Amino acid sequence: PDTGTKQRKEKEPFEIDFVSPLDPKLAEQIYTQASSHSAICLPKKDWKSKTRNLLPDDKHFNSKQLLSLFLKPKARMSNRRRFASKIGTFGNAGQQDNLPEGEMDEAFWAQKEPQNAHDDEAAMPQGDYDA
Amino acid sequence: TQICGIFKDAQRTTATHRKLVVNLRKIHEACCYEPIRPSKNGDSNDFDEADFNNEFTRCVIRAMPVKKSEGIGEKTIRFVGLFLRHASDKDNDVLGENDVDASTMPETPSTRLTTQVMEAIVALLTAKDKFVRYRATQLISHVINSLDAIDDDLFQKLRHGLLKRIRDKEAMVRAQAVLGLGRLAGNQVEGMANSEDSDDDAETGLLEKLLEVLQNDPSAEVRRSLLVNLPILPNTLPYLLERARDQDAQTRRAVYSRLLPALGDFRHLSLSMREKLLRWGLRDRDENVRKAAGRLFRERWIEDCAGVSAQAEDGKPAEAATPSLDGLLELLERIDIVNSGVENGVALEAMKGFWEGRPDYRDAVSFDDNFWETLSAESVFIARSFNDFCRMEGNGRYESLVEEKLPEVTKLAFYLERYLNVLTEAIRRVNTQEPSEEDDDEEDTVEQEFIVEQLLHIILTLDYSDEVGRRKMYALLRQTLSIPELPDEVTKLTVNVLRDLCPPDTAGEKEFCSVVLEAVADVHDTIVDDPGADNDDDSFHSARSDVSSDGTPTKRGKNGELNEEDARAKAIKEIMINMKCLHIVQCMLANVEGTLQENDHLISMLNNLVVPAVRSHEAPVRERGLVCLGLCALLDKPLAEENLTLFMHFFSKGHAALQITALQILTDILNVHGAQLLSANPALLKVYIRALRSGSKNPEVQGAATVAVSKLLLGRVVTDHETSTELLKTLVVAYFDPATNGNQSVRQALNYFLPVFCFSRAENQGLLQSVALDALHALYNVREGLEDDDADINEEMASLSTIGACLVDWTDPRKCYQPGLPMEAEKKHVNGDVHLDFATDILEKLNSSASKEEKKTVGPLLGKLYISPASSEDKIRVLYEEVSSAVEENIATDATSRNALYKIHVNLGKIVNQLSEQDKTMMR
Repeated sequence: PDTGTKQRKEKEPFEIDFVSPLDPKLAEQIYTQASSHSAICLPKKDWKSKTRNLLPDDKHFNSKQLLSLFLKPKARMSNRRRFASKIGTFGNAGQQDNLPEGEMDEAFWAQKEPQNAHDDEAAMPQGDYDA
Repeated sequence: TQICGIFKDAQRTTATHRKLVVNLRKIHEACCYEPIRPSKNGDSNDFDEADFNNEFTRCVIRAMPVKKSEGIGEKTIRFVGLFLRHASDKDNDVLGENDVDASTMPETPSTRLTTQVMEAIVALLTAKDKFVRYRATQLISHVINSLDAIDDDLFQKLRHGLLKRIRDKEAMVRAQAVLGLGRLAGNQVEGMANSEDSDDDAETGLLEKLLEVLQNDPSAEVRRSLLVNLPILPNTLPYLLERARDQDAQTRRAVYSRLLPALGDFRHLSLSMREKLLRWGLRDRDENVRKAAGRLFRERWIEDCAGVSAQAEDGKPAEAATPSLDGLLELLERIDIVNSGVENGVALEAMKGFWEGRPDYRDAVSFDDNFWETLSAESVFIARSFNDFCRMEGNGRYESLVEEKLPEVTKLAFYLERYLNVLTEAIRRVNTQEPSEEDDDEEDTVEQEFIVEQLLHIILTLDYSDEVGRRKMYALLRQTLSIPELPDEVTKLTVNVLRDLCPPDTAGEKEFCSVVLEAVADVHDTIVDDPGADNDDDSFHSARSDVSSDGTPTKRGKNGELNEEDARAKAIKEIMINMKCLHIVQCMLANVEGTLQENDHLISMLNNLVVPAVRSHEAPVRERGLVCLGLCALLDKPLAEENLTLFMHFFSKGHAALQITALQILTDILNVHGAQLLSANPALLKVYIRALRSGSKNPEVQGAATVAVSKLLLGRVVTDHETSTELLKTLVVAYFDPATNGNQSVRQALNYFLPVFCFSRAENQGLLQSVALDALHALYNVREGLEDDDADINEEMASLSTIGACLVDWTDPRKCYQPGLPMEAEKKHVNGDVHLDFATDILEKLNSSASKEEKKTVGPLLGKLYISPASSEDKIRVLYEEVSSAVEENIATDATSRNALYKIHVNLGKIVNQLSEQDKTMMR
């Protein structure tokens, strides 16, 4: 209830009172001059901006680049199911599977399994031994 | 009093302003022109002009203290402007037209009124109260802009007053001042053209000042206000366009949504400027800027070329415009499609947006036989981008469109063959020509190359279920690959298509390798085929011995010299051919997923081509061989292990580009074969650390290393504790180190990596916590080093307390992702052990022999930590004891640290008491 009245008070439209004589407080507000030039001015050090307020060169870091190999940009890393994603499709159609739009957030990375889980498999390229 | 009433009404709504102005003018006239208009109203008779002016001024002044947020203030000011304008128009009517052109302004009631009001307001420009200054500036700017002419003396005063206010402390005041002056600068430049005025200097001075403000004002509002109000002139345009890179997204957007549409025909811009504007806009980090840039391209620029009356109001495309293929062709030509349409060029994005936003063009395009027979760079790009759009966007909604409009595989193969022939002929022509005549032909080759590339891009997306088409394409590409002159990009695309033409399974991969290696053999044979070649040694690295001997004195006569020249030409050719073979192999390997040992073709290729290349004395051959060897190592772990030292050697001894290549190979190897290779080779960790610290010498290497290490840590390739901490610490230091200020690759990558890494797992937060104080210590030393010689150190480097707060934030357990919980969900009472450990470390630091100054930066962090009752009980108790004794021993030396210590003491105390209570009740 307390906040309710407060809000209503704020909503009451503000009007300039042109009729009544000038309130001395207002008069003071209007006619008091600044004590000095510097009191109302931008400090000189802010006159110049080193960067000219321009953005730094955008390198377009894209988190998706963290998912692929440098030398084989088309292949997704740690995708052990070789050939699995390619069957029946051509081009890059098969590669956008379960990739979020835009940047990938912490929730995406949280699902990442440790690479070590794959290592036993990777250590035996020939697949001759039993796992 | 009537005047008061009118003002009272005027502040409410602008809708009645017209009527009120007329009413007020009646009173005004009644006061000033008494003789002409005998009054009907007894009252107004008592007032004369001075009374009116005083009353009017009084009312205006009343509006001055109104806050910025009140709409009433602005309405009143607009009313004043409107009235002054109306009054002066009326007065001029009264005077008659003959006086309008007079060089001196005649004095009228309205000029007297204006002068009186303005003189009063000018005085308020330097008021102490910011709102008074704001309103005064706003009124003056508004009046200057709404009146045609102002008395010269008054004008100078106003101008001078405003000029002072462009340096006001308050951004809102500056924005208004700039608004008034911007138009002024425009008018005056126009005026200058007419009369060689003595004020020239002053006027250009004004423009210069405003341009300086445009670049330097700290407030985006001010810069934006100038951006849309400054006159567009040859000398202002570069400054205006520069705002396309402004720090503020709304300002950047204004460049695309307001400035550039207002500019008129985009073809007046330089070619490089068009490309830059497109690239900046379409790749902006802010979505709204991207949208505005996309709209500019597909709605304004196209109409400039399509030649339709594009004068439609505000944004909307001219409805009458019918799609014009010629217009689109010209548009692409105007953005230099041969350069902007390559991979990673901006034209692909531009056209994607174009097809998306222009269904009319989507329906209108047609690709008939004539189209394919007369391809140009522009037209083939239309087809390519259309094909891309239809296949990749809209979830297959447009697939039917492309099937309906594009020819079938066989036909496309036929066209490809035709343009390939044109290309190879063109290349051969250029190769046999004298250098002087090359220019035209070379340009032509570039265009032909572009056409073939685009065709291959289309072909890469086709469906090859039609066996006839598939075979035709396969044969053509197999044959194409054997052409030694084939440009690299074309080779790459050809290999990629060939991979898709073979079945996607292991057998298909073998077929693919064998067909590509056949082509490699063909290319290699051209060394031998060369007529007159006597030295047909078929090992790949034989070229060097001939080249290196060309300094030896020769007794051979004319004939011998010729032979020597021949030998050199031959050696160069051999190198070229070798390079080409390696490139084909590299493209092939990038498409291979199986293991090396399963594929005999690959093993013999490795031994006969790649290994000799790595040993070559020719640097380019050696470096390309290295990449191929790296790719092979990805397919075979033993090979990777054997050559790890070799790759590391290339990193240590190579130039920057080679270092990056080596780093990437090593990282890929770790990704594929696992990080034991890293733990087994301590030297490898050193390579990474060195690369991460190589900023001063090789910023690019540091950038590549940052991405590589981010990949290893986020991908959880490296999980070993010691290695991870070492890497992470180096990254944190690099992030805050002023030495990376200029290295945006590093900064932007870490800007993404550090928070995402920490917030994705609790272990990662623990990892960061364990390096936090060490990193802070290192950064403390960096900052100490700076303080000696640098005055504005705060611009160079964040303060240590900011860095500390950042570290606390990254380790805040409440911010960590928890499976099953949406990220926005408020997390209450999470286990806060990380921060308890952080506190322990801080206490240890305070107890250590670290410098007083460093303790001062560390201590206050205690107060920022999250102390949760849900943390492990024993940790809470242990820490409580540590904190208690820290309080007793008074280890905090400065006031803020002490307060932080007390705060954490109290918080812990409460929790410990609660725990004890619980224990008691449990006991009972």
